[in-house]
Amino acid sequence: MGNFDLLMQGFGVAITPMHLLLMVAGVLMGLVVGVLPGLGAPNGVSLLIPLTFSLDPTSAIILLSSMYWGALFGGSTTSILFNIPGEPSSVATTFDGYPMARSGESTRALTLAFMSAGIGALTGVIVITLLAGWASNFALRFGAPEYFAVYFLAFAAFIGMGSAAPMKTLVALTTGLLLSTVGMDTITGSVRLTFGYSELLSGISFLVVVIGLFGIGELLSTVQEGLRFRGVASRIDLRDVLKTIAELPRYWATSARSALIGIWMGITPGGPTAASFMSYGIARSASRKGKAFGTGRPEGIIAPETADHSAGSCAMLPMLALGVPSSATAAVMMGGLMIWGLTPGPMLFATQPDFVWGLIASMYVSNLIGVVLVLATVPMFAALLRIPFAVIGPMIVAICFVGAYTVSNSTFDLWLVLLFGLVGYLFSKLDYPIAPLVLAMVLGHKAENAFHQSMVLSDGSLGIFFANPLVSTIMAVGIALLVVPKVLAFGSRFRRRIPVE
Amino acid sequence: MTVRRFHAEIGTALVTGAVGATAAIGATSLGYGWEESGPQPGYFPFYVGLILIAASIWNLVSAVAAHRQASADASAGGEAEEPFLGREHLDRIGRFMGAMVVFVIATLFLGIYVGSTGYIAYSAWRQGKYRPISALAMGAGFAVSLYVIFEVIFRIPLLKGPIEPLLGIY
Repeated sequence: MGNFDLLMQGFGVAITPMHLLLMVAGVLMGLVVGVLPGLGAPNGVSLLIPLTFSLDPTSAIILLSSMYWGALFGGSTTSILFNIPGEPSSVATTFDGYPMARSGESTRALTLAFMSAGIGALTGVIVITLLAGWASNFALRFGAPEYFAVYFLAFAAFIGMGSAAPMKTLVALTTGLLLSTVGMDTITGSVRLTFGYSELLSGISFLVVVIGLFGIGELLSTVQEGLRFRGVASRIDLRDVLKTIAELPRYWATSARSALIGIWMGITPGGPTAASFMSYGIARSASRKGKAFGTGRPEGIIAPETADHSAGSCAMLPMLALGVPSSATAAVMMGGLMIWGLTPGPMLFATQPDFVWGLIASMYVSNLIGVVLVLATVPMFAALLRIPFAVIGPMIVAICFVGAYTVSNSTFDLWLVLLFGLVGYLFSKLDYPIAPLVLAMVLGHKAENAFHQSMVLSDGSLGIFFANPLVSTIMAVGIALLVVPKVLAFGSRFRRRIPVE
Repeated sequence: MTVRRFHAEIGTALVTGAVGATAAIGATSLGYGWEESGPQPGYFPFYVGLILIAASIWNLVSAVAAHRQASADASAGGEAEEPFLGREHLDRIGRFMGAMVVFVIATLFLGIYVGSTGYIAYSAWRQGKYRPISALAMGAGFAVSLYVIFEVIFRIPLLKGPIEPLLGIY
């Protein structure tokens, strides 16, 4: 069967009343999570995973991915209306989105953002549709050394391509890897690094860590800044919406370029945040004369939004086909997959076609639902930010702790959330990236397994990682990603031109 | 009291280094060498711990270097080092963290429902300047919606304390 037939079959799975309802619910919850400070896509998904244990995996992944899209849309809403990025990946949207909304064109700014986001997401999904079959066939040739090489590549890409200092990324990565080794080791059956605490026997759940790092950590940053919401009126005028949509084709070049950047950064582990900054920077340097960027230029909204969403949806491809997520949210979803008893990777396409293609088909549908819903409900969600922080802050805290408790009904996890909340706050203050830590925690076991198996195969020789053309190529690309970006002076000069606030 | 970025960088690097050292030491007791069937259980954590220590030392050294540079600039009349956390920030964070820790302890003894009701009501009353009765209503409303979502709809039991059984909730 070709990809197209499989996709049609996927639509059959995705378009049922139950699944449509889950998509609407997921997008709405995602909007709430995206709008509220302290609740972002990664920990929103983490909070929801324990609630999905009673659903079948296909319904569960549809709910979670819809929430992700909703969170991406919600993040752009607050960027534009309040100058507060609801998500790290929508920081770049504030540069031009907020000025445009301030000058009385909030409907135009929001429509530009949502339509570009929709276009970006759809381009991303189309790429996934086209590449999925090929990627999984390719990945079927992988053995343990190749898998280890791919994990190495993912880690190397974070260090080499991330915007943070490489050594700080390395600290985050290795901390995540160490956290993943705590508890019962599945290969040797020995208990590792518990230091006598019986609570640690079953390991440290990455869900709890994500809730602490992203939830409590982000709330602490919000508290430290002291919240001042200066919102812009957020009524949506349908005529303005249509006028803005008619204006979109004029910016096709920006859209196309940004979508490509997003696709590239989504498939390689650059992630949506890097994609949106890069796309904004390139749009700015490529723009012809006109109104300055930062004062409400349409391209300044289109570029980061398109790239953000195409990267967000493309991040699902390496997660499904290789089991290597390229964003924190994808990492959490992949952890969910493993909890539901599915093994991400090429075999998933062969053994669970309904799951994979149902998910891909649902991405088309739920992004459409997302664009419509977000336009219809923006005033309502913007009102959430008018609730005083003294009320909404503690509620978010309570939700985070409740969510952490439901992961395994352990009170020990409550302390872990507190601890990782502090870690997340300090890390983000000191520019340590958090996403690599989460990624390493999710991939740690698999990376170690792959390494162990390769070593058994080769009798302890590291030469196995360069034994055939496929694995050597992957390792070479990994090493190149690690070294080249930092060596090239061009690279550093280029990054400096991207504004970071 | 203010915390400078330099202090925070140094402190974080020391802690991450200590984490690496703890892991490496813990791994030595498991064996980090080779046996018949491949690497011993401590192999992976041991070497990852070593990398973490190395990266932490690097961060430590570069923080010191940045600090020296900044002090040199400052004495030369240039810009001084940015303050990391001012008194006001520390105050705000401290109050928020304090309330959160009390909430966690209260939750451990009294359950999530009572803990979150008290926590939200207290914060709405003291920081939000709501009347005590409406603050309490917000807290209670939140706890009731938690109950409905988790225990009624999803059938996931949350942590309960000694008070819920008195109300006939198990």
